[in-house]
Amino acid sequence: MTTYTICIFTENTIGLLNRITIIFTRRRINIESLTVSETERKGVSRFTIVIKHESREEVEKLVRQIRKIVEVLAVFGYLNDEIVYNEIALFKVSTGLGSKPLDVETINQQYKAWVVYWGLDYVVIEKTGNDTEIFDFFNYIKRHEILEFVRSGRVAVGKTEKGLVEYLPEADWAYYM
Amino acid sequence: MEAIANVMPEAIETAPAPTYINGSHALMQALVAEGVDTIFGYPGGAIMPVYDALYDFQERINHILVRHEQGAGHAAEGYARVTGRAGVCLVTSGPGATNLVTAIADALIDSTPLVCVVGQVAKKLLGTDAFQEADVMGVTMPITKWNYQITSADEVPEVISKAFYIAQSGRPGPVLIDITKSAQLELMTKPFAYERCQSIISYKPRRVPKQEQVEAAAKLINSAKKPYILVGHGVQIAKAEDELREFVEKTGIPVATTLLGQSTISTAHPLYVGWLGMHGNYGPNVMTDQADVIIAIGMRFDDRVTGDASKYIKQAKVVHIEIDPAEIDKIIRADAPVVGDAKEVLKALIPLVNPNDHTVWRNEFRKYDAIEKETITVPELTSQTGKIKMAEVIDLLSKKTKGESILVTDVGQHQMMASRYYQFRRPNSLVTSGGMGTMGFALPAAFGAQVGAPDRQVVAIIGDGCFQMTLQELGTIVQNKQPVKAIILNNNFLGMVRQWQQLFHERRYSFVELQNPDFVTIAKGFGMAGHTCNERESLSDSLDNLLNSDGPYLLEVIVEKEENVFPMVPAGASVAQIRLK
Repeated sequence: MTTYTICIFTENTIGLLNRITIIFTRRRINIESLTVSETERKGVSRFTIVIKHESREEVEKLVRQIRKIVEVLAVFGYLNDEIVYNEIALFKVSTGLGSKPLDVETINQQYKAWVVYWGLDYVVIEKTGNDTEIFDFFNYIKRHEILEFVRSGRVAVGKTEKGLVEYLPEADWAYYM
Repeated sequence: MEAIANVMPEAIETAPAPTYINGSHALMQALVAEGVDTIFGYPGGAIMPVYDALYDFQERINHILVRHEQGAGHAAEGYARVTGRAGVCLVTSGPGATNLVTAIADALIDSTPLVCVVGQVAKKLLGTDAFQEADVMGVTMPITKWNYQITSADEVPEVISKAFYIAQSGRPGPVLIDITKSAQLELMTKPFAYERCQSIISYKPRRVPKQEQVEAAAKLINSAKKPYILVGHGVQIAKAEDELREFVEKTGIPVATTLLGQSTISTAHPLYVGWLGMHGNYGPNVMTDQADVIIAIGMRFDDRVTGDASKYIKQAKVVHIEIDPAEIDKIIRADAPVVGDAKEVLKALIPLVNPNDHTVWRNEFRKYDAIEKETITVPELTSQTGKIKMAEVIDLLSKKTKGESILVTDVGQHQMMASRYYQFRRPNSLVTSGGMGTMGFALPAAFGAQVGAPDRQVVAIIGDGCFQMTLQELGTIVQNKQPVKAIILNNNFLGMVRQWQQLFHERRYSFVELQNPDFVTIAKGFGMAGHTCNERESLSDSLDNLLNSDGPYLLEVIVEKEENVFPMVPAGASVAQIRLK
């Protein structure tokens, strides 16, 4: 199984998420993670969808089916080494009376994770990185009582010279900034 | 200053506030601006404001009241297939919309342009489980080329223009517009203005091919020793019949068609070799394994054409001419893909291909033709004993109509027999449900085809099972005085399923026998003339009665109960394993 990251640029319209995901469902491809946000261009959304698949050919077919959707502006499929990518994870860890003290120095320096919130008897630690790094940290921090753990979907940018939006159809795009 | 102060307040009080048309009238204006002359529809609660507006537009738009929304969908498909323009359906919310679903799915897979306008509950009731509320956007998302929910009257002109553009351009398909009752009733806040959609930033189908793709294709074609052209529905959609003929005649390459590609080229053309697929002709199927270059035009290598795709045309280089880029490499890898409209591609290709004459190669097809004729065709057409065979009916119909009719078929054995034995002479003459295989398609589609092509004779070939799925549309045909000729080939069986059960399930006939009603009495009940033919001797007169009748007519022909359709490529087998018996 190879991990593929599919970046989809679309117009920002209601129901499009559904139209895109049913293409995966119909082909019985499980979505590992999915992130949607507006790009630097107004009205253009960017979907980052991570899947695992054994056949590159099938992924290429999938990309072409997504491109067929009327509101889709462009689709790009990537292997891990073609992109810079990250996820963000939040760990809510118990620091109640009698619990093991946190080694903040190790957390900061070895794991590059940061305490972002101090509650009365818990802290929230933020860890950014790829899934391996996040799970390494998970394995370390699980010596404490983890009250909650949540991981975002992947965000990724291509390792190409140009930004992907440069590949979008020509138009009078409005920009943020 | 004083003067102004005196005048202004008065002027503001007396000037009438501008009022603009409501969403329903905007919809009617938009349809008129789009050139729509016919709507197939059925009213109901959530679409009543539109029907109220339609009352004022009766002179300009012919609304046809069907008997079931599925009938509206198939009629619109029939209309679209013979005119090349989008068929328009108008139905209400909830069950009205869900009844359309089969026809929408059928239109998507057979690339048929439809614009379906569907009522929806008022905006403030959306998501409340209101009366006749269904999530039609959700239901139709996987089976439409595009769908959109209109929730304000101001959106109407732009959305309708996009709907027609999307439905009719590129690879055509169905579009659904869900319009809330509140948007139908509310007034626009600006004057109605309509501009036909010319392009959409995120949707740019390529019509004119890339020159380098055309050149690569030409190079392959020119180098071929045994080239073979497979023509799909895309050529007729592109209205490229003349270009195809020119291309074929210049290169001397034999041509076969898919089921939906039939009638693109006259069956009498010397370079036409037959049709492909599970029940297609013998030669055209097995010869795919002999060709060195396959030129596929406007077709998508459906599994009914390829059989086991892993064993299909492995020896050949493939030129794939197709408007939908998602079809390239989907089933069969293309060595020279050409993305574009079939007409534009052929126009670009013709000057680049060398004149040739592949007589020797072509004659190899004829050897197989002779075998098929001897083992299947002649016995089917000349048996003088037993019940009438389906083949005889179609063959005689073909002769009597000189291959000039539009044939509309349902799905099953009769469909395959109609394709086998009707000798098509004119383009756009076969309207059938190919990809979806929708039983009940023929009667409403024949009606729609007749409305779209009033100058042509439309003959529906229907199985006894299929007929009972949509027979209520006899009422539509009679009320609208459309001279549709319907032939029911009655074998009291769901024949194709029975054939499979016989061949692959040891004759375990599981729920395929039908106790049928008296079809002619049913037709008469609807006010439609008809009779039953049970004897071979009266078949010719029966067909004459049908064809010479002024109005609609139903002919029931009692045919052989356990007839099988051959040749046959069994499901999952390779085309080389085609069976002649």
